[in-house]
Amino acid sequence: MRKSRSIRLVLLGSAGIALAACGEDPLPPDAKFFTDTNECSAAFPTEACQQATAEAQKAAETEAPRFSRKEQCEAEFGVGNCETRQTAGGGSYFMPLLMGYMMGNMMGGNRFAAPVFRGPNNTAVLPNRGQMFNVGRFGATAAGRPAFQPASQVTAVSRGGFGSTAQAYRSGSGS
Amino acid sequence: MERLVIEPRPDWRAHVEHDLGFVFHTIDGKPYWDETACYRFEAEQIDEIEEATRELEQLALDLVDRVVQQGPEAYGRLRIPEAAWPAIEGSWRGQEKNLYGRFDLRYDGEAPPKLLEYNADTPTALFEAAVVQWDWLQAVKPEADQFNSIHERLIEAWKNFDILRERVYFSAVKDHAEDNGTIEYLRDTATQAGIDSARIAVEEIGWDGKQFLDLENRRIGVLFKLYPWEWLLGEAFGPHLLKGVVRVVEPPWKMILSNKAALALLWELAPGHPNLLPASLEQPNEIEGTVVRKPIYSREGANLQVLEGGRVVTETPGGYGAEGFVYQQYVELPSFGGNYPVVGSWVVASQPAGMGLREDTTPITRDTSRFVPHFFE
Repeated sequence: MRKSRSIRLVLLGSAGIALAACGEDPLPPDAKFFTDTNECSAAFPTEACQQATAEAQKAAETEAPRFSRKEQCEAEFGVGNCETRQTAGGGSYFMPLLMGYMMGNMMGGNRFAAPVFRGPNNTAVLPNRGQMFNVGRFGATAAGRPAFQPASQVTAVSRGGFGSTAQAYRSGSGS
Repeated sequence: MERLVIEPRPDWRAHVEHDLGFVFHTIDGKPYWDETACYRFEAEQIDEIEEATRELEQLALDLVDRVVQQGPEAYGRLRIPEAAWPAIEGSWRGQEKNLYGRFDLRYDGEAPPKLLEYNADTPTALFEAAVVQWDWLQAVKPEADQFNSIHERLIEAWKNFDILRERVYFSAVKDHAEDNGTIEYLRDTATQAGIDSARIAVEEIGWDGKQFLDLENRRIGVLFKLYPWEWLLGEAFGPHLLKGVVRVVEPPWKMILSNKAALALLWELAPGHPNLLPASLEQPNEIEGTVVRKPIYSREGANLQVLEGGRVVTETPGGYGAEGFVYQQYVELPSFGGNYPVVGSWVVASQPAGMGLREDTTPITRDTSRFVPHFFE
């Protein structure tokens, strides 16, 4: 016999089941937010602050979400909070403005430094492992212990980078 | 092999929709699943198709090995961009498993099956072959057999993938019932193999500069894509796919086979093989008789030209052909009362697994073709 002995479907048809999703833990809340090295120097050694600034600037280049259109970026981060950048290949894209950095001591003694972008309504937004977190607000008292809250209005990532060919052909993709 | 006109089950629409979740039986108002007819085969004919499928898959795997060893010249003839070469070689040398493929064969019950093309990357008509025609057989002719253990083999294949600890994301274009039905079926088989899975439209896949993310910004570690490699690589996120941050099924080495230029390279690898048609990239004049010109990258019978002595006698429309063409000897599909069937012969984990027939009322199978069930005795 070369036909299947029995066929059971668990997702399709009347026997479908639902799978539950589970979340991931946010960052441990152990860091402070600074807009520049001077502000940082009040709390940490100047040399460490300079190093953290440099690290944050470097990390911003790789961790900032990239958008092909300014409107997409501003929809996520707010009007006036995005800047344009050139790629090595001559193209351009938009990313949120770097407004400062987060710094602190991790358990085990390692220093933690991360870039902070300006989000909608002056929120401070921090990227970490592909997720974006609201870490407080910009304002008169910029420095302070942040409350880490996943940013609901900000997605960390650019989307829409796949699917354009099918759209151009107005077709599905299977064959 | 014969075509039988039969009475459809009176309640089949409600049955396949409700019990099987088969929602694309009718496409754009025209029948796609068609049980007003079926094909009957002899067991020896099934043996012949199965054996041809086994040999063709072995040839295809030999071809991948040869291309990887030859390097730039072979990739160039296949029009595969240089950026993809390391990923192809890495996935082949690393023995990344493949799930499935469909050989489209010309078969009339007498002459040896001939390979028309190999859908190695994004084959569809899978759920119809694996489940819907099996269900039809159980209802209409339960004592007969069918060349179809696709379902069992898919579950077995997933178990042998070394990805059991990772969630697999199944992805196709938004709002396309057939493609989404196909990935939902594949997800069903993966679930039965114990794999954690989720769905995401290709348009919704995110990139954060380091990794691919789902809509809740969770990392995508394994991506099953029902979306051609050559399309992915030409799009904005394409280069990120080659950085090694995501495992993709089908693996990158399938790019060598999903491309119709491979038909010419297969003929070079095994000239005169009884299951191959003469094919050439550069020398169409050396092919005897009528020739069909196919775009290297195309879908569903688009942009074909049938040439007699260099003169175009038939042509199909479409927007493909920018990467060039392959020439293949033209053999007319057999006619069964004005219906022209193509045998879609499946491999799962590179093993022959079953078949599904699609027929059209013209000798060139298009995306308007109908799926017709089969049995053998």
